[in-house]
Amino acid sequence: METISNIALLPIFGMLLLAFLLAFFRMLKGPEITDRIVAMDMIASVTMAFILSYSILVNKAIYFDIVIVISLISFIGTVAVSTYLKQKK
Amino acid sequence: MTTLITTIFFFFGAFFILVSAIGLVRFPDLYARMHAVTKATSFGLLLLIIGTAIFFNTGAVWIKALLVAVFIYLTAPLASHSIAQSDKKWEKEESEGN
Repeated sequence: METISNIALLPIFGMLLLAFLLAFFRMLKGPEITDRIVAMDMIASVTMAFILSYSILVNKAIYFDIVIVISLISFIGTVAVSTYLKQKK
Repeated sequence: MTTLITTIFFFFGAFFILVSAIGLVRFPDLYARMHAVTKATSFGLLLLIIGTAIFFNTGAVWIKALLVAVFIYLTAPLASHSIAQSDKKWEKEESEGN
């Protein structure tokens, strides 16, 4: 199995890092708490993209399991926080 | 050839995630921001997952990729619906309080 050179993966990591910084900025600044929840969902997606790119970089397929776990936990966390906000008096 | 296809998939996926992050910062409203974020979770991550599955090209990775794609496509609307519902309730209580 051939590998992808690091130079091809460098702009991909750069774009993902910039996306992470922008989402983190929105999470710090967001005027309402729901904006922060949306930004947290986005950060989970960017983390999944990072791990997929890293599994290509080190050429190991076992890292795909982390993506499954993060997708489960991110959904549960989003629904838990918004349900808490819905039921809060 | 496989690596070229994988690189193209990854480049476009990362590009769409970057565009949706820019939209998350630039858009003025919560609903517009949710509209931008949905593109990252549905389109960008789908491209990245397909690229990874093409790169490794084993049965286990294809099954896991299908699992993650189906799970994301089932749960992203539920999460968005829940967030929008909580925002609506939040707004209503704020206006009633004032």
